[in-house]
Amino acid sequence: MVGPLALIVIGAATVLAAWAAWFVVRDRAVILRQLWGGAVVEGLMVVQAAVALVLVLNGTGSPEPGTFWGYIVVQLMILPFAAAWAFAERTRWSSVVLLVACLTVVFLEYRLLQIWMG
Amino acid sequence: MGIKLPEQTAPAPGSTSSGPGRALVAVYGVFALAATARAGFQIATKLGEAPLAYLLSGLSAVVYVVATVALAKGSPRARRVAWAAVLVELVGVLAVGALSLLDASDFPDETVWSGFGAGYGYVPLVLPFLGIAWLWHTRPRGPSTD
Repeated sequence: MVGPLALIVIGAATVLAAWAAWFVVRDRAVILRQLWGGAVVEGLMVVQAAVALVLVLNGTGSPEPGTFWGYIVVQLMILPFAAAWAFAERTRWSSVVLLVACLTVVFLEYRLLQIWMG
Repeated sequence: MGIKLPEQTAPAPGSTSSGPGRALVAVYGVFALAATARAGFQIATKLGEAPLAYLLSGLSAVVYVVATVALAKGSPRARRVAWAAVLVELVGVLAVGALSLLDASDFPDETVWSGFGAGYGYVPLVLPFLGIAWLWHTRPRGPSTD
């Protein structure tokens, strides 16, 4: 359950990263629709965290709980920061921030998957 | 929905935290967050296993937090702090990177700077150079300075 969800999160965050990269090239600031996209990714990660929590409570835990939950907490914090930034910085550089945020989410998700698989 | 983003504008020159600087602060912020979470966990749970590596991990977290805040503030005093932070960061990543290769037993890939940041796509190695370049690029220019 965590595996497929992780792949969905990676896919969604990668699409959003590509969208942001396109905006960087086109010299455009983040638009609201991208923030809704970010909200979808964030929602998927919340679902994933809830699923992982249920699985852990049922005894099918991850081998490194400290690192695993640390990554989940950090991962959940990143996109809200990028969204706040999009309101403050109304230049193409907000798109760079969103791109960095999405790539960070993808990287953390990849690491989460590695830890979960053991 | 009632939410609306402000109109797009042109970047304002001369500040460490606007335009490209904002992207740089964001990257520093990510590393501040990642290094703090990692070091906090290491120091709280297993400091005795590899004290040197975990304390250096803690140092890297402090450096990233200080650099993030200083670059985001960008006042003359904050700029000096930012210079110090990025220079410590540069020395740190080079020293820890070299140490981790020479003495692998004490550094089981446990800090952001191990292997010159190989575990983080070598971003920790590139970041101090970007920080230095950006502080240099945004340095105050006028008859009374430089």
